[in-house]
Formats: sequence, structure tokens, C-alpha cells
Amino acid sequence: MSPAVLQTAALARRSIKSTFRFPQAWFPSLFFPLVLMAIFTASFGRSIAFIPGFPKVDGFLSFAVTGAIVQGVLISAVGAGAFFAGDIEGGFFDRLASSPASRSAILLSRLCASVVLAAGQATFFLLIAVIFGATVKGGVVGALIVIVLAALLAVPIGGLGVYLALRTGSAEAVQGTFPLFFALMFFSSTFFPRETMTGWFQIVADINPISHLVEGMRVQIIRGVDWQAAGVSLAIIVGLAILSVGACAISLRRRLEGNA
Amino acid sequence: MSASTLARTASVSRVLAWRALILVRRMPAVFIPSLVMPLFILVATSGAFHGISAVPIGTSSYLAFTLPFATIMGAGFAGINAGMTLARDIEGGFVDRLISSPAPRLSLVAGPFTAAAVRSLFTTTVVFAAGWIGQLPLPGVAGTIGVYAMAACFAMATACWSMGVALRARTVQAAPMMQLVVFILVFTSVAYAPRDLQTGWLRTVSDWNPVTRILEFSRSAEFQKMTWAGLWPALVSIAVLMLVFGSFALYGLSRLGND
Repeated sequence: MSPAVLQTAALARRSIKSTFRFPQAWFPSLFFPLVLMAIFTASFGRSIAFIPGFPKVDGFLSFAVTGAIVQGVLISAVGAGAFFAGDIEGGFFDRLASSPASRSAILLSRLCASVVLAAGQATFFLLIAVIFGATVKGGVVGALIVIVLAALLAVPIGGLGVYLALRTGSAEAVQGTFPLFFALMFFSSTFFPRETMTGWFQIVADINPISHLVEGMRVQIIRGVDWQAAGVSLAIIVGLAILSVGACAISLRRRLEGNA
Repeated sequence: MSASTLARTASVSRVLAWRALILVRRMPAVFIPSLVMPLFILVATSGAFHGISAVPIGTSSYLAFTLPFATIMGAGFAGINAGMTLARDIEGGFVDRLISSPAPRLSLVAGPFTAAAVRSLFTTTVVFAAGWIGQLPLPGVAGTIGVYAMAACFAMATACWSMGVALRARTVQAAPMMQLVVFILVFTSVAYAPRDLQTGWLRTVSDWNPVTRILEFSRSAEFQKMTWAGLWPALVSIAVLMLVFGSFALYGLSRLGND
């Protein structure tokens, strides 16, 4: 195995371990999505049968779990970016940069760690939802598609976090971007279907890629395995990943050259 | 407390409240979230969950249903700001200087407490303006006073909670703890749906949550359907919140400087 792969694996292991060592790194990404999912389910569960345009679902929980997964990935990926910024602030990044470690390992390790954590998180949310009565129409295959897409989603979002960390070098600045992502989620069909929205809000949700990304994942749970919808989600993730990882690579090079 | 002490407390509190209010000009980054977040809640919630308008929620507009939720959240942020200001003053040494001066200790919390109520007037006005732009009718004089009053009372209650946290933690890093309790209190009330539509655990929690009655009365004020049967549970809820959070803040204040 090449040294770059070994270094990536070692640094990714460090990232995962450091996430578990600090409750503030993993607790919000589990707590807030679960609480919101529970509140929305108990608030809207009785109403959805009477809302024109709402898709036929076994219960609101089945509908809401995808939103919780995406929200969880978002929070933990922003947290990962903040931890990376913490490494820059604390000097670990500089020590790593002055060592013979591969440059790509510095970046890829953080993204790999985000992927592993997102997969675990998505599995956990699905299990919780199923325990509380959600049904996954796509069965095991549908659940696996959702988990894989959630894991891959950690690449563009985690990449964005790392990009911001490289640009600002400040954990506080990276955390400060969270409301922006949260707004992006609300102005999409993450929590409620686009068919029930009206006016300018619906137009924004229509053009928001998060809507199409979430819908491609959600359909696996509420209707059954749909490879075409999964392909749309995957295409959006790949497109976003190219942008964010590309931006990361440029910022990493600039920082290593001392221009950041 | 003698009349002269009371007058001195009021005078120092007024100065501290003014100081907290003009902080908006010196540190707008502290205040802007408390204006933006209620607006975000109003727009994002009413837009995303617009479909709920089709079910019986007391109005045909989910925007109208969401407005009191946004005013209450704005008031909550105003209260949290009071706690954050106090925490920053403790960290910066301003509180130490004030304690060693002849200024009455009570004014330390009375100032930010008053400022929170005044700030809630701004946030409520901003939310009302946004609702008006969204073509919501204004609720008349009595209704408007009702919505403002509920927001101001909630701001004072959350200010007590946040200052209690600040007096114990003595760092602005404790802000997430101030926010968490306020968010949970509001979100587990009737923020998103009326009690009749809620199911399971949330229905039980919102039945006991004091914010439920405050929000319900604020909604009835907005819809110009205020009744005594709606007002007294809201007043009792405010009294309960003030008693619990007020005691929490005052106990924290009494221990300040003792260790």
C-alpha cells in the first residue's frame, strides 16, 4: 500500500477518534435533527392526509427521516470543517505540512472521516425512525441507497467546511456559516414537499439543488427503490463535490505556499 | 428595601439598560441575529409548511399562524442577548468593577432585564412589518398590544434564564446553553401546529409547556379573538416562568463574588 494511502487512513482515523472524544462535535448532529424530526412528526402527522399535493406516505416519520439525515450530515460536516480550522489554529496543520506527509492525505483524510461518520449517522437515523414506526418501502436496498448517498453527501459539504477552514483558519468563522446552510435546507423540500408550496418560495425550492437531492433519497423510503431518482441525487452530489473539493485543493495549495 | 435604595437601583438599572441597548450600535453583530432569525422563521416556516393552511388551524394563512411564533422567538433572542451581554461584562471585568462600586447589585440584572423587554419591541415590530409586506392585516390596537405584551413578557422571562446561566458559567461560551432551553421551550409548544392537531408525546408536552398558553394568547390577539379564558392561562404561564427563571437569576446574582 502506498504511503499516501496509509497516511490518509491514519489521519482519517485520528479525525474520527477526535470527533468521538468531544461530545460537542457529535452531539448536535444527532440531537437537533432527531428533535426536529420528532417535533415535525408529532405536529404534522395528523394533517398530511388532508393536504392537497402531499405524497401518499405511511406516516410523516417516513417522510421526515431523510430531512433529518441530510440535516445531520450538514451539521457534522460543518463541525468537521471547524475541527480542521481548529487544527490550523492549534498548529497541527503546520506541523503536518512541514512533515513528509502527502499533501493530498491532509485533505482526503478529513473527507474520508466525514464519509464514514455520515454513513454511521444515516444508519442510526434510519434505525431510530424504523423503531418508531417508519417504513422503508425500498427495503434493505432502498436503505442502503440512502446511506450511501448520505455518506457521499459528506464529501461536498465536508469539502466546503474544509475550504472555509483553509480560507479563514478560524473555527468560529466556519461555525458561523451554519445558518447559511440551514437556510438552504429550509428553502427546499427537505422538510415538506414542493407540491404543497406556492409562489416565490416554490420557485426557490424548485431551483434549489438540495430539493432534488433530498427527493432522490426520500423516494427510496416512501415509494420504493428508484434508480433514476438515486442517479439524480448522485449527479447533484458529484457536481457539488467537484466544486467544493476543487476549491479545497486550490486553497490548500495557496495556504501551503503561504498565501492564505 | 428602602425608598432611596429602590430609587438608586432604578436609576442604575436605567443606565445599564441604556448601555445594553446602545450596544446595538457598537456591536451590531450581537444584535443582528436577533432581528434576522425571527424574520427567517417567519418566511422559512410559513413558506415551507404552507400546505398546513389547508387544515383547520384557526386561519386560512399559515403565515398568519406563524407570526406569533416569530415574535415569540424574536423575544427569546432578545432575552438571550441579555444573558450574553452580562456574560461578556463578567468576562471583561465590568461586573467586578460594578460590584466593588456602591451601585446596588440588583441593577446588574434589572438593567439587561429591562433592555430585553425594550429589544423585544424592535423584533416584534420587524416581524409585524414583514407580515404586513406579506399582506397580513394588522390586528387592531388591542390585538397589537396583546402580541407586543406577550413578546415583552417572554423576553423578560428568557432574559432571567439567560442571565442565570451567565452568572453561573461566567463566560459567553455558555450561549448555546441559553439558546438550547429557549429553543426547546418554544419548539415543543404550539409553534408549528395547534394542540388539536398534535399527536403523541408533543401533545402531552405542549399541554404542560407554559409557552403554549403564551403563544395561544398571542395568536388569539393577532386574530382579534382575545378572551379572558385565553388571557388568564397566559398570565399564569408568564408568572410561572418569571418565578422559576427569576429565582434562578437572583440566586446566581446572590452568589456572585462569593467564591
